[in-house]
Amino acid sequence: MKKTIQIPLGSQHISLLEPIRFKFECENEKIIGVDADVGFVHRGVELACTRSFEFKQVGYVVARVCGLCAITHSLSYTLAAEKLLGYEANDRIKYLRMLMVELDRIHSHMLCLAHTAENAGFEALFMQIMADRELVMDLQEAISGNRVQFDFIAIGGVNRDLTPELTALIHKNLTLLSEKIDALIGLFNNNWSLSLKYKGVGVLRLEDAYTYNALGPLARAAGLATDVRVETSDFPYEDIGYTMILESTGDIHARNFVRLREIVNSIAMCRNIADNLPAGEILEKTKGKPKGEAVVRVEAPRGELFYLVRGNGGNMLERVRIKTPTFSGIPAMMEVFKSSEYADAPAILASFDPCMSCTAK
Amino acid sequence: MFKSMFTALINLFKPVHTVNYPAEDIVLPKGYRGLIEYDKESCIFCDKCEKVCPPGAILFYQPLEGEKEYRYNPWLCIYCGECVRACPKPEEALWQSETKQHSAVKEDGANEGWFVYEEACKQSREDFKAAKQASKTQNKSEE
Amino acid sequence: MTKLETTLATLLADIGTFYEPKKWHFLTVNGIDLGEGKIELQWIFSKYGVKDEIVIYYALSDYETPVPSLVSLIPSAFMGEREIVDMFGLKVDGAERGLYLDEDSLQHPLRSES
Repeated sequence: MKKTIQIPLGSQHISLLEPIRFKFECENEKIIGVDADVGFVHRGVELACTRSFEFKQVGYVVARVCGLCAITHSLSYTLAAEKLLGYEANDRIKYLRMLMVELDRIHSHMLCLAHTAENAGFEALFMQIMADRELVMDLQEAISGNRVQFDFIAIGGVNRDLTPELTALIHKNLTLLSEKIDALIGLFNNNWSLSLKYKGVGVLRLEDAYTYNALGPLARAAGLATDVRVETSDFPYEDIGYTMILESTGDIHARNFVRLREIVNSIAMCRNIADNLPAGEILEKTKGKPKGEAVVRVEAPRGELFYLVRGNGGNMLERVRIKTPTFSGIPAMMEVFKSSEYADAPAILASFDPCMSCTAK
Repeated sequence: MFKSMFTALINLFKPVHTVNYPAEDIVLPKGYRGLIEYDKESCIFCDKCEKVCPPGAILFYQPLEGEKEYRYNPWLCIYCGECVRACPKPEEALWQSETKQHSAVKEDGANEGWFVYEEACKQSREDFKAAKQASKTQNKSEE
Repeated sequence: MTKLETTLATLLADIGTFYEPKKWHFLTVNGIDLGEGKIELQWIFSKYGVKDEIVIYYALSDYETPVPSLVSLIPSAFMGEREIVDMFGLKVDGAERGLYLDEDSLQHPLRSES
């Protein structure tokens, strides 16, 4: 007689934001085997980038891969295209780009924290974090002129400049936000019923993180010191006060804490950028057509985003390869599910911060 | 437990977080990206905006006689402002306003009408080219 | 960025001597269609904690030759391998179709002739 039962989670499930299907092989309450199906929202962006759009327009196309990390997608593509054109941005452009990426990281991490709270059964905490998140969304709205699709980064620079009023708004909102984050850190640390759901649940061990090539907050929570922000020299992150956040336990609690402390770090970095913005042009003319091959890695909120762009000297590109963070995170995620309880699965899943529209592109 | 009840009581008298939307207007930040606007008088018909537009929301219809006709689909537009940056006469011929488009209803023909128009524009270009070619050969034969 | 050439026959031996889980982060498998039935396959690695160190192993192949699977060396490689199976219609040991497309789909969208 068969000893195990199969329980699916997804493709439509109350704990999911986007369609993904896990098939859990369960022994009583314990999960012993996992199978994942991720391709429900495949749209063929890679093909569209090479067949339907010219290289100057592709930056706006890839921004539509994912709503949450729109800015990191367009940034990675733009960096790759600029490498092919032999153009290096000046400091002001770099700082403005970093500012938007860090703001993006703050609101994405807050969304994940809110969702982890909701999936663990804390509806009110979800509402509270989402309301606080509006402070960052307002900032991005004011800087880029749109709420979700920023279209802020163009080849050769950025589309909008920072005015003194915006700098004041950044300081005002970030001060408000950092108070709320401090309160959240206390809450996540000390609340007893939160700790029941988070501590020791969904553990990723350090050896597994190495074996399955985990990345982003998932790896850093397990103690694997990897961050693309220190592994690339495209942006001067050391100058604006970047510190790597590491935890060691690898459970949901550790992942939440990596995110919370990264938010604190990002707030400090955003303030530094707003205060010490170098002078310079914000949009420079670029010449030529992309020729050759370039690879770019950028730290998205969920981990490493990788772009490989190859051009042949024409208006159309030959290949645009998008490797998104969740795509390479899935093997590690499947490993974490094994030997945990089925009832914990929604909370564990939310703590990975999976982004299916990125994965299936 | 008393502490949590006390917090709950305080929260009852806190102001609400949400905006009372349809009754009150949402205040948008200054410089919010809106519709692209066009002035026929200053346009020099260089077609640069049509070429750079990522979704192809700006089209020019080419009649056999006379000036080109500008057509813009506000529902296809992604408000990126690339056309304004490409325009040789920005703020005169083409600029980005802060007004927003109302949601499309069936009568607007946001999709169907636009597909027809896209075809018509393509056809008009070809017709114009053919007519030009024909007149050229005619001129030559007259000489 | 370093590019190292390899062949499909010697791939497993090359990457087996090169790859150490604690030193190298495996990014993904990538395919680029070169036209006329030729395809370039790339295996991309980056080094932990070192700036801008990316190593790309590449091999030239065609649509028909079976590609060896790296799952025995790098357990997380199956995602990238399933993707190239879907997108280029290649044969990879142990990787089946159906990551993005349907299992019985006859399409291979990223081939240049499609």
